[in-house]
Amino acid sequence: MSVVELIDVRKHYMLGETRVEALRGVCLHIEKGEFLAIAGPSGAGKSTILNLIGCIDTPSEGRVLIDGTEVEHLSDRELTRYRRQKLGFIFQSFNLIPVLNVFENIEFPLLLRNSLTRKEREKTVMHFIEEVGLADRLKNKPNELSGGQRQRVAIARALVTRPLIVLADEPTANLDSETGHRIVDLMRAINEHEKTTFIFSTHDEHIMEHARRVISIRDGLITGDKAKG
Amino acid sequence: MLIFKIALRSLLRRKSRALTIGALVAFGTLLLVFGQTFTRSAGIASRDSIINNFTGDLILYSERSKEKPSPFAFNTPLPVIPEVEKIRAYLETLPQVEAVVPFAQNYAIIQTQKDGKSVELPFIFYAVEPATYRRIFRNAQMRQGEFFGVEGGVAGQGILISEYQNAQYQKNYGVTLAAGEAVTVLGLTEGGSVNALRSKLLGLFEPRYFKNVFNYINFVDIQSYSALYNFTGVAADSLPESLTRGLEASAGNEEAIFDLAKDADFGKLNLSSLRSETLSGYTMIAVLLADHGSVDQVIREVSAAGLGVKAARWDEASGFFARIASALQAFIILATGLIFLIVAFIFMNTLIINIVERTSEIGTMRAIGGEKSFIRRLFLAETLLLNIPFSLGAMVLSLIAVLAAGRSGLPLPDSISQYLIGGGALPLRLAAAPFLEALVIVIAVSVIATLYPIRVATGITPLAAMGERAA
Repeated sequence: MSVVELIDVRKHYMLGETRVEALRGVCLHIEKGEFLAIAGPSGAGKSTILNLIGCIDTPSEGRVLIDGTEVEHLSDRELTRYRRQKLGFIFQSFNLIPVLNVFENIEFPLLLRNSLTRKEREKTVMHFIEEVGLADRLKNKPNELSGGQRQRVAIARALVTRPLIVLADEPTANLDSETGHRIVDLMRAINEHEKTTFIFSTHDEHIMEHARRVISIRDGLITGDKAKG
Repeated sequence: MLIFKIALRSLLRRKSRALTIGALVAFGTLLLVFGQTFTRSAGIASRDSIINNFTGDLILYSERSKEKPSPFAFNTPLPVIPEVEKIRAYLETLPQVEAVVPFAQNYAIIQTQKDGKSVELPFIFYAVEPATYRRIFRNAQMRQGEFFGVEGGVAGQGILISEYQNAQYQKNYGVTLAAGEAVTVLGLTEGGSVNALRSKLLGLFEPRYFKNVFNYINFVDIQSYSALYNFTGVAADSLPESLTRGLEASAGNEEAIFDLAKDADFGKLNLSSLRSETLSGYTMIAVLLADHGSVDQVIREVSAAGLGVKAARWDEASGFFARIASALQAFIILATGLIFLIVAFIFMNTLIINIVERTSEIGTMRAIGGEKSFIRRLFLAETLLLNIPFSLGAMVLSLIAVLAAGRSGLPLPDSISQYLIGGGALPLRLAAAPFLEALVIVIAVSVIATLYPIRVATGITPLAAMGERAA
């Protein structure tokens, strides 16, 4: 069963008085456990697809199904709960909470869920901190970390609730290429260990090489869908 | 816990802004608590000063009077109260009544000699029963002579004038009076005639309280006053039956009056049997109560007793002076309200700036599952975490200031003190109400000032997290 289904999805918005067609009829099916890159130049519609899958935007036309649920009709509160339960986010600019340290940032989604005991939370957080190799940085605040370290924290935060899908919007865009490669390697390793579905957008050719499936998009339309091995 | 952790650290991250807001909140709280404590204390001190020295808890006055009694002002004298002793006897049966002090307020002329010429001096006075008045109201500090000799010394009838009045006589008329000096007092009676009374200046005093009024008020004993103004009448028990019938008939129709001709006794009316009676001339009766809270009950009882008098509360009788503390309190409330309005406005703007700066952070929280209520609680927590401690700090400072001033009272410039509380240092009275009021106001202002910024914050969508620079 597909964890993500986009059926003839269109998205347009107004930029001043200009109508911008961000997506012009996109159909996409993503299976559980995929490690998928959405590739394309800036303005192609990569982020729009991620936003729709991430339930932080709604389509102008068409249907979006996440884990079999049509999400475009859910209320703001239901969408928020849905994101909390099913999705993890990795942002281009890391988006850590500046006043929380590494441990607390990763713990944050669990506290919002409020479903684990303190001990269970600590154990889960420590598992993912070790997974991303930041066990020696527990007490550091985001501004005391390098870009790569911050993105590792963001990855751990996205994974800590064991979501169905992790969405990463250009996760390497603010990192140097070596760090970017390491981050993608880490995401891929976690994808293999945890069987979590990873969907990330990129326009970096080298990063695309790590993906098992690459969806190419241009001018709001899917122009290619390549699966590897 | 998570919310408080983020809220507290976010405040610490923007220390200078937090300190500015906190200082304003603290200043507002200080003004509110100290100001309210000050004005409440002034209100109590003013009330005690007026009740215990001038008016008692209430003043009874003739039901014929169209004006309220005003012992603090120099109005036309009120109508004389009939049967004062009967009223006094009734009042003394009431358990709430501690003391009854009848007195009159009037004016006269003192005639004295200077360089062989007659000089006439204006003279506003209270006519009092010296022993009773002195026992209850201690507002005159004797500087020369005795208070009608009621505390030892030589008892006597006469007048007392204030030192200030004497100085004014010197300034305006070139005359200074001295204790023991013989004077003539001239009084204008209701009938329009001028009566003269040989009297004596028994002493000079200085008022303790409300000098700006009582420097102009002097004293006469009630016997001298009654003699001066011809307060005499016919004793009711000496009126013959036939005269009573006649008076009753005169109130009826003409036929009843003509019928009097048939009354043989009426024709033989012997006026020599009528007995004259000296009336006191009292126009006011100050009533001091054991419990200030029972004023209304006593007023109801007196009104129901049909004594021919009306009652005015102490604050109705003291007019402007009773309202100074309330006016000051209103001013402090207004000033504090203005400060809190400014605080709320600055606070609201600062919060909006914070929210704009934290758009990405808020969007991220929303994206990873934070509901709008979480954002709402977060900013409310930030507001309260900032404002309540600063407010409590200001309350502690106020408490220290009140306790420090409490022992000896807060010294005030004499001119202010005289108007506000009648004179002297103001004893600050600690009460929980100003502290609780301040806390409630700070919380209310904080919540109100946060409403709009919270609306802005909860309007931020998770999309805001996607394209902005964050930590």
